[in-house]
Amino acid sequence: MVEAPKLENQTLSLGKDGIPLLITVALAAFLLLPVALVFLGAFLSPEFLGIASETWAAEKSGWLTFHWFGYVWNLYGEAFFFSLRLAALSVMFCLILALPAAYLLALRPFKGSRLLEEIALLPLAIPGIGLAVALIQTWTLFRGESWLILAGHLLYTLPFMLRVLLHALRSMPVKEWGWAARSLGADSRQRFLWVTLPNLRPALMLGSLLVFAISWGEFNISFLLNTPLRQTFPAALYATYTSNSFSVSSAATVIFLAGIAPVLALIQWFGGKHFTGIGQGA
Amino acid sequence: MGFLGAFLLAPFITMVFSPSSPSYSHYLALWTDPYYREAIMHSLLLSFSVAVFSLCLCMVPAWLFATRDFPGKSVLRSIYALPLSFSGILVGFLMILLFGRIGLIPRLSERFLGYPLLSGLAYHGAGLWLAYLYFEIPRATLSLESALSGFDTRLPLAAKSLGAKGWQVFFWVILPNIKAPLVSTLAITFSASLGSFGVALILSRRFTLLPVEIYRQIAGFQHLESAAAMTVFLVMMALTINLTARLGWSRRESSGEVLHG
Repeated sequence: MVEAPKLENQTLSLGKDGIPLLITVALAAFLLLPVALVFLGAFLSPEFLGIASETWAAEKSGWLTFHWFGYVWNLYGEAFFFSLRLAALSVMFCLILALPAAYLLALRPFKGSRLLEEIALLPLAIPGIGLAVALIQTWTLFRGESWLILAGHLLYTLPFMLRVLLHALRSMPVKEWGWAARSLGADSRQRFLWVTLPNLRPALMLGSLLVFAISWGEFNISFLLNTPLRQTFPAALYATYTSNSFSVSSAATVIFLAGIAPVLALIQWFGGKHFTGIGQGA
Repeated sequence: MGFLGAFLLAPFITMVFSPSSPSYSHYLALWTDPYYREAIMHSLLLSFSVAVFSLCLCMVPAWLFATRDFPGKSVLRSIYALPLSFSGILVGFLMILLFGRIGLIPRLSERFLGYPLLSGLAYHGAGLWLAYLYFEIPRATLSLESALSGFDTRLPLAAKSLGAKGWQVFFWVILPNIKAPLVSTLAITFSASLGSFGVALILSRRFTLLPVEIYRQIAGFQHLESAAAMTVFLVMMALTINLTARLGWSRRESSGEVLHG
């Protein structure tokens, strides 16, 4: 595809672009303000915040408290590790499944491979709750089993990995490199291991980060597939939102954000400006 | 392939065709039962209005990010990207912090104005609407930004040199050229809102929405058939919306799209 010629971005002039800038900053404030409140709620003592109903449990002195983190950790620590394991396993299985699939679809297209690709990417267009209900209907007996939840996560994360890999493979002259390598005497295994794979590393990295981020934050599928006994961390968040206080909910949210912030930062760094496909399906 | 068969195709086939799947009467009830019909209508109305509004609103930051350079831009842009990773329940919680019974806005207004303005708004339709807007702003902005930054910036310059004013350039040069990405952004936000479950689960008190209703049928009443009927409807809607957008915007193999997942 020929890129449309693009002139350098203009520098912002406050006089001419004042109103758009104001709107942009205002919207950013709307996005950020409640997140800031979460941090206040998690670290400041309720007494300091003036929420009298919460003073029973907090230490009476000082305005800074870490009390709530301990509370959340005791209650939902298990969910934290369950989510962490789930995310790590998702990344692993996505790599195992998507790498050969993408290689096949991008470089060895066969009859119906296009259709197969569309089907594999289909979950991107289906609401998470739809997948969850379909899975429950089919695998009713296994509802609550870890492997079913993992399957749900994979269904949902695999398309992201596949998309990143397909895009990378299709935008590289893999065939030409293959010819060059073959002319130097490399067999197909060597070509894959030493030519294609190293060039795929950024895409594999980005894909893994995306998969981790999505699996970590996934709520719909895990919430419906799980039994209350074994929850993912987002389901634990839901539990704190509905039955715990502002401080506890905030602390849990901060823990959740701490899990995802480094991954997001890495995605921004790796994917740069151009990759934004990390939408969480509500 | 086997994985896809077992966990993607088979479940949907089972959902539609197995003995335990919904019969015609269940599908019919979606329309005849005013309760279900209301859930569907509310969902469509809410999602579509938020999608249109966020599309118009987010043109501004998207345009700024795509065409201007300024210090602090990457920070500002990360703020827009951050909520992409929030699940709906988190957004619902954040809205309660702003507009709940003792949310920030009511408390501030009580201190300065003497009465709690907008208290409990989060639980009303308006609060739900704002929450969905919060949910869609990042999606719409980043999707529009990638559309606008692929835009040939010589066109508006040419138009300007021919004497067109700023708004004329926008309406007659830029808009017609980004029609397809506009439609696809609309589809992304519309179908994301439509399937959004967490936001409404936390906030919806007064009226019901389609995804929440599905959840209630499963968790509360164990009516798997009606849940499945509604799910089939929801999935068909989402697929139709996405397909329509795709046809309008023939295969854009760029990595810059924002799919709702």
